Amino acid sequence: MNKIFLRFVTFLNPLLKNTGVDTEQLYQILKVKLLMDERRPNTAFAARRNAKNNKPRNPVVVALFSVLMGCFIGMVLFIDAGPLIAQTLYFTIYMAFIGMTLISDFTNVLIDSKDQFILLPRPVNDRTIAMSRIFHISIYLLRLTLPLALPGIVMIGFIDGILAVPLFIGQLLLITFLAVFSVNMVYLLLMRAVSPQKFKDIISYFQIGFSILIFGTYYLVPRLINVKALAHNDILSHVWAYFLPPVWVAALNDLFFHAGRLSAITWLFGILGITIPIVGLWFVAKVLAPGFNKRLAVISTSDVSSKPVTNSKSTSKFNLIDAIGRIVSPEPIENAGFKITAKLTARTREFKMKVYPSFAYIPIYFIYFAMNTKGDDLSSKFEDLQNSHSYIFLIYMCSLILTTVASNITMSSKYKSAWVYYALPIDEPGKILLGMFKAMLVFYYLPYCFVIGLLIISIWGYHAINDMILAILVSTIYGMLSALFIIKGLPFSRPVSEKQGGGRVIISFLVLFFIGGIGYLHYLIMKWETAIWVAIIPFFIINWVMFHYYKKQTWENIELIEE
Amino acid sequence: MQASICPIVFILDTVLLQLKMNDSPIIKIRKLSKFYGDKQVLNELELDIYPGQVLGYIGPNGAGKSTTVKILTGLIPDFEGEVLVDGFNMAENPLAIKKLIGYVPENAEIYDVLSPMEYLDFIGKLYSMEDSVLHERAEKLLTAFGLQANLNDRMDTFSKGMKQKVLLSAGIIHNPKIIILDEPLSGLDANAVILVKELITRLANEGKTIFYCSHMMDIVEKVADRIILINKGSIVANGTFESLKQNHSDTLERIFSKLTGHEESGNEAEAIINAF
Repeated sequence: MNKIFLRFVTFLNPLLKNTGVDTEQLYQILKVKLLMDERRPNTAFAARRNAKNNKPRNPVVVALFSVLMGCFIGMVLFIDAGPLIAQTLYFTIYMAFIGMTLISDFTNVLIDSKDQFILLPRPVNDRTIAMSRIFHISIYLLRLTLPLALPGIVMIGFIDGILAVPLFIGQLLLITFLAVFSVNMVYLLLMRAVSPQKFKDIISYFQIGFSILIFGTYYLVPRLINVKALAHNDILSHVWAYFLPPVWVAALNDLFFHAGRLSAITWLFGILGITIPIVGLWFVAKVLAPGFNKRLAVISTSDVSSKPVTNSKSTSKFNLIDAIGRIVSPEPIENAGFKITAKLTARTREFKMKVYPSFAYIPIYFIYFAMNTKGDDLSSKFEDLQNSHSYIFLIYMCSLILTTVASNITMSSKYKSAWVYYALPIDEPGKILLGMFKAMLVFYYLPYCFVIGLLIISIWGYHAINDMILAILVSTIYGMLSALFIIKGLPFSRPVSEKQGGGRVIISFLVLFFIGGIGYLHYLIMKWETAIWVAIIPFFIINWVMFHYYKKQTWENIELIEE
Repeated sequence: MQASICPIVFILDTVLLQLKMNDSPIIKIRKLSKFYGDKQVLNELELDIYPGQVLGYIGPNGAGKSTTVKILTGLIPDFEGEVLVDGFNMAENPLAIKKLIGYVPENAEIYDVLSPMEYLDFIGKLYSMEDSVLHERAEKLLTAFGLQANLNDRMDTFSKGMKQKVLLSAGIIHNPKIIILDEPLSGLDANAVILVKELITRLANEGKTIFYCSHMMDIVEKVADRIILINKGSIVANGTFESLKQNHSDTLERIFSKLTGHEESGNEAEAIINAF
């Protein structure tokens, strides 16, 4: 595959040479970059997948996945509606998908600060580097979009005839240009506005947003979109639609194949659809790309200038973590575990990437289940929901936060820094673990439950409070059992690629069933409000006892990593 | 230059230095300044380096060492002043200069999903080297560094020292006139340290110019035949180790602390002891 792309590039050599590119160097850079892409574990969708399969994915599987995705998007084309609707929808989804993938998957490749030290000291001119970057992105995009667009290309042939196919391919190219242009704009604006460190953070929030978006679309959109309502909608009657680039590109199809619904505005759109992407691409290559490289250079050299800012901040600000730590974990070793967990989880990008999406998954799941109830429209569904006791389900679902945090908290790509735990005279590592567990509760689980709790009270009323307390106590037990049996490790102390043993999966299911059983009992007795209040007492005691014994864990209970 | 206590030694020393300076300088730095925001990192630096010299470039953290190196290697294109290397102007013709320089960076950045052979092949090709020469040389270099068993292993499993050996090989693969080494011994074992020290001397004898940047005073003392000490963006000492000894103190370490304003390091240690 790579060879084909490389041969194609060599095919362009005479042209490139004229513009001052060293074609031999270009070839070598591209060859190495493509080789490295192949060997690098794919980061797309990493937030949703567990860290387990860290090995590079099979390109055929990736392509198949894209074809499948393309089929789904392609279905939109069959919507028999007013002018432009079907194609506008298709191109919007397509553009969003490409843009998001570019941002989430390719950023690390684009902003590789290693290039600064490896390529820049060598006699390679700027144009060659810029060209190599453009080709690298293009090849990456081609590989991504070809399987994605293929089903759409076939489908359009069925809908508008074989002649529509070449036009459609042209439209796809235009929309891809637009996506690249927009992503570049986003990058450049961000790079101008924020510091490099912030920039990487913002990109990772994009990635989190992307995984939530995919997850949400998958579960909710089929239930929310009403195709019938869409059919009677004339997109051109909305002025905001005039500013959507996919509309312009979609107009091209109407221009050539649906002369019946032509108007002056369609003509205008058609012209915009062709010129804007091309002008945009030219703008990227000529104006933005050079600035882009210069900003990149800043990223790797800016460490000097950014230092003084952080100093002033930490001294003056009241430290919330310290204050809470003093109350919750007064014992010194435990306090250390508490604070290190709180601080590292808040500052480690990879941890956030894996954990934050699950905050959004819970409401999405819940809405999905709520929507599945009978009832024709949204208001009757809501009424059903209010009469049901399904909030109990919602609170128990929050324990997902605990397990997600717990299963990621021990892992870090910088796990070697954890040597300190082993080098210091710590007799009971359980104290660190307890501090870690408390930090998980205080900074992740409880605040989340609090927010969900407010939501529950606003929908179901105050009688839900005792259920919530009980459910939280049960979930805490569940969390601690999981922590005891499933995750044995100090905070951020193990490599990410580590696999989980098979035995653990069985134990984790057993724990889950056990807690699920208790949750079901809870559901059965929840009619009797006092019974719930009474049940809180023994569970509180169990919790207290477990906390007490949890910190007694010795080094033998903690699995050390074998080098 | 400060007044010498013992003029004869000083004169001898200057003569020795002159012997190596009989050519015109290969690197000429004039009024080099660099700002990061309002912070001035380099302050009108003036420096001549002659062919065949091993220049020890030392200074405390944040003195501007790395910035000088990054400007010399073309990593930082915007600076004030003039940098001439072998007659080429850095501002006008950075590519010509980059061809002459071999650079071993401090932070060990490397494409570690590649194997050493793949990496050297890539780097060599960027210098437009012939395939046959390149392969033979890459293999010889890596073997000489003791990596013959790992020629085709991916470097992500390599130790820091092994990666450093690959970086050293990559820095000299195109037989450059000038070699810029930024803390080149980090992570290397004692045998490799001896090897690299010997290598530096041999390269200098062959007429290569070596710009050696380090914090390890004892090695700079032995390896360098001229020492530049910078502090706060300016040169505060410039000469052979012998001449610096005459003027200041008996070890490079002491000279260093004296000139960078940390003579009271005894007091600092005292303060640390008193902290208990």
